Amino acid sequence: MTTLQHRPDPDTAGAGEASGPADEQTSGGGRPWLIVAVREVVVRVTNRTFLFSTLFTLVFIAGFAAFSAWQAGKTTTYTVAVSSAEGTRLVEQAASTARSTSDTVVITPSTVPGEDAARAAVDRGDVDAWLHETSAGWTLTSGDDVEASLRTPLEGAVRDAALDRNAAAAGTTVEALERGATLGADRFDGQTTNRGFVQAATFAFALLFFMGALMFGQQIAASVVEEKQSRLVEIIATAIPLRALLAGKVVGNSVIAMGQVVLFAGVGLVAVSFTEWSSLLPALSTAVVWFVLFFAVGFFALACLFAVAGALASRTEDLQSTTSPLTTLLMLVYFASFALSGTALKVASFVPIVSVVAMPGRIIAGDAAWWEPVVSLLLMAAFSAVAVVIGEKVYRRSLMQTRGRMSWKQALRTAD
Amino acid sequence: MSEHGDRLTRPRATADIELRHLTRTFGEIRAVDDISFTVGAGRLTGFVGGNGAGKTTTMRMVMGVLSPSGGEVLWDGRPITALDRRQFGYMPEERGLYPKQAVVDQLVYLGRLRGLSASAAKASVTTHLERLGLAERAKDHVEKLSLGNQQRVQIIAALMGRPRALVLDEPFSGLDPAAVDNMADLLREHTARGVPVLFSSHQLDLVERLCERLVVLAKGRVVASGSPDELRATSVSRHRLVLSVDAGWVRGVGGVHAVDVEGHTALLEIVEHGAERALLEEALRRGEVHEFSPQRPTLAQIYREVTA
Repeated sequence: MTTLQHRPDPDTAGAGEASGPADEQTSGGGRPWLIVAVREVVVRVTNRTFLFSTLFTLVFIAGFAAFSAWQAGKTTTYTVAVSSAEGTRLVEQAASTARSTSDTVVITPSTVPGEDAARAAVDRGDVDAWLHETSAGWTLTSGDDVEASLRTPLEGAVRDAALDRNAAAAGTTVEALERGATLGADRFDGQTTNRGFVQAATFAFALLFFMGALMFGQQIAASVVEEKQSRLVEIIATAIPLRALLAGKVVGNSVIAMGQVVLFAGVGLVAVSFTEWSSLLPALSTAVVWFVLFFAVGFFALACLFAVAGALASRTEDLQSTTSPLTTLLMLVYFASFALSGTALKVASFVPIVSVVAMPGRIIAGDAAWWEPVVSLLLMAAFSAVAVVIGEKVYRRSLMQTRGRMSWKQALRTAD
Repeated sequence: MSEHGDRLTRPRATADIELRHLTRTFGEIRAVDDISFTVGAGRLTGFVGGNGAGKTTTMRMVMGVLSPSGGEVLWDGRPITALDRRQFGYMPEERGLYPKQAVVDQLVYLGRLRGLSASAAKASVTTHLERLGLAERAKDHVEKLSLGNQQRVQIIAALMGRPRALVLDEPFSGLDPAAVDNMADLLREHTARGVPVLFSSHQLDLVERLCERLVVLAKGRVVASGSPDELRATSVSRHRLVLSVDAGWVRGVGGVHAVDVEGHTALLEIVEHGAERALLEEALRRGEVHEFSPQRPTLAQIYREVTA
């Protein structure tokens, strides 16, 4: 980034201004891109609409988490009608199994004289189902489908009772019958991370990234077109290099976007820690670090591309069409990142933007050497720098075209 | 610290803006065709021409917003740089401000982009807001201001800080007479410290009143330039003749062109040097001469002549 330093020059004095010493006048300009970035941030965070929407989203996330926690903590009570001592014993057995897996499920038996009484009790809603013995074995009859949280422990109890009985009849025990019948599993890398969970986490991060990218990309493009729309562009173009304007916009908006995402994610994680999924959080820690890193750099690279898209438009109304190639590309990349595997995935993990999802996935899978993510990040940073330079060129070329929009092809072809 | 003290103790920012053979084409159209003139240090130079004459295109090239197809712009005798332009005050033809930002905030921002420190920008903005009668609107969003007041804010954006040169495209349009005087005073303060000022205007009377120098543009070319008096000198001189008798006979006098004859009065152009002597002799022979006076041509008249 070039820094424009003001030449301290006594010539610049005068014009009837009550002002400080000449050196104060001329030395404090600072880096133009930083001045632009600071304005972007200040204007955005003091914008009422922005504040309200952020607050609303936070309340929504917190509310959702609170609802989940309440839902998870709620105790469900099932009453099962039985007509025999054997039935009562099975229900009690099921109740103790249910209690040991989740302390929010309570199952109680209720004795009824027979089928008619059972039907009447189910109809009245006093009991959830009727457990009774038929010629084919135990049957659970109910008015509607039986929920899994009641059915599973009951199945277990019936099965255990039957196995015990059958084993005794065959002159052996259940333990003897089951010996050697289990399959052990471990991994060569000795890790115990749940692969399905990692995949789910990857998916969640990727989704977060692309949702954020789509949302904030549009905002960055809109912010770049702002000076053209308000026709301030000529004044600014004579004051600072357009590269500095674009870089400032990209940095300022990326900071806001990242800040917002971190805020949402933070509140979300805190919220999750109050729910039954809290035990999964520690497993995410290393993945989170890599994802955050790639997220930040990838976000910046995308912001640069959206800045180019913004430079093509001359009014906010044109943005829809100038950004649509980007959003399409983004969607393709998003789906490709899940479809790829093997060498294709390896290549993808070095391609800017695609690497945001591909590389952390490989890191978690354990097949990336330490230097690979570093190279991938550097490539993405270089890509961002090139995008800003192209953006400046496009912006300069479409600068005077304050009516209508330019196509990508046109912008790259037109002479200055 | 008084203004006069400033002027006496501080060296003047004397540098010229020179345009040399500046040319710009848009496809087949030559919007600006081989323009050369100098905006002298400490001088107010008026840039006059009809719509589409190429004034705005020329000013954009001076400010580097548009690159010339040919020719160059010099500052202080050397090719101008982006760093030089950063210290210029510029008021573009396309007026604009951030509609949803407070007046003072965006002026300070624009000042900082031009290299002023936050405190210097703030001080300069405050002074200018007071001088242009906008002090109490400082915290208002620009979109709440009237068009005239928005124009004032844009003037401040160009004049704040201590610009080393001023390039102003139609700075007076949309201003009421009091604001015009205010603005003229401000511009004179800048020229007094040696700043070259180039401004375009359609208001010829205003240009005549303010400018030490004038450049007339037509169809992308400079058709006349110089001080208003110099321009007048090159213009054909006109005389008014008032007689005691009917003046119709003047139409027949050689070397004289009768522009207008009405009763006893005639407006004449002396085409041949010395023809006025024969004219007067003839007039005295026919009766009494009540008046024979040279007519000072207005700038509008000169403008019509040179752009015709």
